[in-house]
Amino acid sequence: MAWPAPRIRRFAGPVNGRGLWTLFMRGFMRVLRFATEGIGGALISALLFLAVFVFAWAGDSGPVQGVGLPAFVAPGIAAFSLSLNAYENAAFPVVFDKLEGIIGDMLMAPLTPVELVAGYVLAAAAGGLLTGAAVLGVLSLFVSLPVVDPLLLLAYGVLGALFFALLGFITGLWAEKWDRYSVVQTFLILPLGLLSGTFFAIESLPAIGQQIILANPVFYLIDGVRGAVIGHSSTAPAVGLAILAALTLLLWLIAWRLVARGYKIKS
Amino acid sequence: MTELTRDPAVALPPPRPRAIGAVNWVGLWTLYLKEVKRFVNVLTQTILAPMVTMLLFLAVFTLALGRGNLKFGDIPYAEFLAPGLIMMAMIQNAFANTSSSLLISKIQGNIVDVLMPPLSTVELALGFALGGVTRGLLVGTTTAVAMWVFVPLPLHSFALVVYYGVAAALMLSLLGMIGGIWAEKFDHIAAMTNFVIVPFSFLSGTFYSVARLPESWQFIAHLNPFFYLIDGFRYGFLGRHDGDILIGMAVVAGVNAVLISIVWLMLSRGYNLKP
Repeated sequence: MAWPAPRIRRFAGPVNGRGLWTLFMRGFMRVLRFATEGIGGALISALLFLAVFVFAWAGDSGPVQGVGLPAFVAPGIAAFSLSLNAYENAAFPVVFDKLEGIIGDMLMAPLTPVELVAGYVLAAAAGGLLTGAAVLGVLSLFVSLPVVDPLLLLAYGVLGALFFALLGFITGLWAEKWDRYSVVQTFLILPLGLLSGTFFAIESLPAIGQQIILANPVFYLIDGVRGAVIGHSSTAPAVGLAILAALTLLLWLIAWRLVARGYKIKS
Repeated sequence: MTELTRDPAVALPPPRPRAIGAVNWVGLWTLYLKEVKRFVNVLTQTILAPMVTMLLFLAVFTLALGRGNLKFGDIPYAEFLAPGLIMMAMIQNAFANTSSSLLISKIQGNIVDVLMPPLSTVELALGFALGGVTRGLLVGTTTAVAMWVFVPLPLHSFALVVYYGVAAALMLSLLGMIGGIWAEKFDHIAAMTNFVIVPFSFLSGTFYSVARLPESWQFIAHLNPFFYLIDGFRYGFLGRHDGDILIGMAVVAGVNAVLISIVWLMLSRGYNLKP
């Protein structure tokens, strides 16, 4: 008795929807499993930053951009949590999968490079968005945060999460050991995130400092999120969106090419 | 080759046990060296990273709060902040050193290599704790030198700076040992860092003077042992303080004594270390 001829394609259409969904859910479930440290830790440090600013400020310096300092820093803290979390959620699993050899299971599956990048990055971005939303929600219990433009907030949140998830994904591909992962975090992500106007208005800087900060893409994320929440921003929202979208697209292309070439993941 | 061609009929002299005095100096020194080499190996992560993070904090907080010419007494905000940040770096790194060393040894199973040698409980405790103290002091010195470049710090009393620096590094090394012995997974240490060490060090008066807090909060702030560490350390530099320095010194010494006893008890009973 002859065997039936094997079917070549198990799925129809140009996208392996089930495979992509499986990879996405694997990453997202991981985010949820580590929610105590990931989201809980982010909430605690956000509250600590807010508390420290409120105690140190104590109404001394005048309002910043028309609001008190707490309302000024709160959206920045939320955007910062979102960025850091999206980065960690993307970089950590890639390094882990590489070191444990699990990455082979992903490369063997019938997933195109685009689907691989999307699976890892979208899960991390979703985790970052979840964290950012949780932080903004909790901070709004203590500081009055009128969300002026929810759509703009969503747009900035999604773009920012994607940008940092892609940055994390590329770092994960590049890092061969945990050292490298933390080097990037300390010497690139933290400076980018902290020196971005999260905690101060760029108008308070000397001219040269303003130029430097304007070159920092994270500034546009923080500024945009703040604009969408309190209605005052240092730059026009459209400019920030365009810059972030362009950079996200660029990172996406880099990530896609790296995976397609098997950079540090195929021998 | 003499060993192989030896006549088996001739009896060997019985093995002589190595004599170890009251203190196993070689063992203690070896354990200490192992603890130090462990973090020096990854210097970027263990010394440079905290320094960079604290410099960033200094820049961010000075820009955000110093702008309105915020001063505590007649001290500019940056100068007020710097000693607190140095202390915070020491606190977090001394804790990280001992807790991660013990936990990783436990998870990888090589903790027996430390428990098997002829080291007494006190020697074990000292070896680990001094390793953490060394990391804390190294991080503190590096951070202080880096900050000196940007914020010229006066030095009111060098002796007090050293006392509080060593006491803080020791306190957090001991806490790290307790954490490392208690924890069974990395999650436990992450939880302890996120929910205990970081909140206590943030809310200890690093970033603000507790004298500015409402009355009831001031009382709570004084219950935090890290408050005395930071307040005393800052007094050593700037000569200003929120709390009583003598009380602070006593509290710090008392907390350390209690922690030493706990660590000693844990190690001598083999809690979570020996089956």
